[in-house]
Amino acid sequence: MNLALVGINHRTAPVEIRERMSIPESRLQEAVADLVRREGIEEGLILSTCNRVEVAANARDGVAPIPIIRNFLADHHQCNLALYENHFYQHRQQGAVEHLFRVASSLDSMIVGEPQILGQLKQAYTSARQAGALNGALNEISLQALAVARKVRRNTAIGESAVSVSYAAVELARKIFGDLTGKTILVLGAGKMSEIAARNLIRSGAGAILVANRTYERAVELAEAFHGTAIRIEQMLDHVEKADIVICSTAAPHYVIHRHHAERWLAARKNRPMFFVDISVPRNVDPAVNELDNAFVYDIDDLGQVVESNKKQREREAIWAEEIIQQEVQKAMRRLASREVVPTIVALEQRLEAIRENEVERYRGRLGDLTPQQREAIDALTHGILNKILHGPITELKSGVGRPEQSSLVSLVRKMFGVSE
Amino acid sequence: MYSVLLWLALVLYFVGIVLTAPSVIRRRPSLPSAALAALGAGLALHASSLIARAIDLHRLPVIDVQSALSFFAFLVTLAFFLAYLRYRINVLGIFMLPLVFVLTLFSALRPGPTFQSTAFRSGWLMVHISCIMLGYVGFFLTFIAAVMFLVQESQLKSKNPRQTYYWLPSLEVCDQLYFRSLKFGLPFLTIGILTGFVWAARTWHGAWELDPKILAALITWLIYLFLFSVRLSGTWPGRASAYVAILGFAAIMVTFVGISFVSGWHGYLPRLGGAP
Repeated sequence: MNLALVGINHRTAPVEIRERMSIPESRLQEAVADLVRREGIEEGLILSTCNRVEVAANARDGVAPIPIIRNFLADHHQCNLALYENHFYQHRQQGAVEHLFRVASSLDSMIVGEPQILGQLKQAYTSARQAGALNGALNEISLQALAVARKVRRNTAIGESAVSVSYAAVELARKIFGDLTGKTILVLGAGKMSEIAARNLIRSGAGAILVANRTYERAVELAEAFHGTAIRIEQMLDHVEKADIVICSTAAPHYVIHRHHAERWLAARKNRPMFFVDISVPRNVDPAVNELDNAFVYDIDDLGQVVESNKKQREREAIWAEEIIQQEVQKAMRRLASREVVPTIVALEQRLEAIRENEVERYRGRLGDLTPQQREAIDALTHGILNKILHGPITELKSGVGRPEQSSLVSLVRKMFGVSE
Repeated sequence: MYSVLLWLALVLYFVGIVLTAPSVIRRRPSLPSAALAALGAGLALHASSLIARAIDLHRLPVIDVQSALSFFAFLVTLAFFLAYLRYRINVLGIFMLPLVFVLTLFSALRPGPTFQSTAFRSGWLMVHISCIMLGYVGFFLTFIAAVMFLVQESQLKSKNPRQTYYWLPSLEVCDQLYFRSLKFGLPFLTIGILTGFVWAARTWHGAWELDPKILAALITWLIYLFLFSVRLSGTWPGRASAYVAILGFAAIMVTFVGISFVSGWHGYLPRLGGAP
């Protein structure tokens, strides 16, 4: 394996350079086919997203793949790559494998744990396969990268916890109500923000929706979009007690919901919890409501704070993910190394067996008529000699798996025993 | 024989706890199957140990402090299993299994002196003890659910979630577990107390009704009855009910452990001559 990876990402390059270097999905297959047509390149993979462009290639032994990849990028974008010198990073062999595993597992993403990258990598893999650009070690590494990403997602909570304000509201609602099925939402103020929040809650299973707005027509419009019920703003306070989740986003420059309102509703609800999502600025829900038992008030800053905390959680989970990746990189390298050794061992055994068979055949005439027992004895004798000769080199080859001197050991054994490449 | 089985169960419980802890810390969706297998095998061995002892004694193995605690530990493990299978709350393992381990270890270390009283041959007493223990197991779960509720609620109120916010289940799930375990525990405690009365009336002479343990048990029962009624009517918010659940469990501790050492009739120490 002679693997290299050259790339830029959101940390190393500003958006205008990432745009300049990106390869649209529609041209991915053609681009990767161009890459593997270059002299010395056996396999290629191109991942191009809004945050990164990564080009990985597996070259023939003795070929330096990095300059070839760089030339490919320069040709493809018809630019002088030297101008962007500081923005590119490059990895070789194990470093490239590790980088791919980290990218697939979303540890290298702008938002750690975001799931989109896995789909983008799958797309890159499919394009490369369709272009006939993956058939060896890089193919194996790419498949392993997808498997490692799934393992990281399964064994850590890296992808859990909302990292956007609107999803933070859903997550909090789940922490209060568990399953959102059958929960009633009241939307106060039918603006864009409340629409997004309500949509996310409905997607997560919430049931009935009530909409109140200063303009009744807009309330009707939004209620229809969600198969809900519109209510007149002046009747709004009479309906709140039915709602488990209240999304407030009115233009009122003062509190619309006060502590005494919430006390009344909670009593009417027999203390079943209420969750107030106040995304309006200035706020519409008196923060004192949060002091009541079973009432939870989150304003826009509170939601932002939860998002920050969730991001830190993801970073903590990333430490476990890194551990998994390190183990998987070691496993992958061992597998790849044994992949290179096994053909040599097989070739060595075949070569010596052919010699043995030839020699036995050559002496058969001189030995005259042999009984079946004598023939068996000769076979056993010659096999025994062969096995004893092979034992040393095979043991050495196997123990050299993964070590830096493995390649030279393989070529030495091949030379010594006359095994062709 | 039962001692060997108990030690093996203890080892498996230990393995189960060791495998459970990382899955909570790393917020895996469910416990690893190895942890469940170890705990399940431990539970089976624990049951075998209790059965072996019961066959040996020809009665429920609760005739000394150690075996009574072993029986209780078995019931707590069983409750953990059932609650986990229903709710899939990993963190329950962190709350319940260390207690199981400590109680089982205490039981396995050495068998205590047995209660020699012939009263232990009474079926009423066996029903009394079993029901009281089942009630206590239910209330132990109620207590854990109440603690989880309070911690999660304070996390949600603070708006600055810490590690426990991620580990603990939703308030709704805490509340469900709390109410269901309460509904399980209360009838058993009631039957346990009633059968205890029947047995005491038949066996003891004198003013047994004034025994501190009996009075404490009645107070405990009243606390849980009150808790049940406020939870059912929804008149108290979750936080206040959770505090009552914690008070109830403190009352159990006093009744089960504290008073046992001073009660004349109910002394857990055989020299005091009583029954549990």
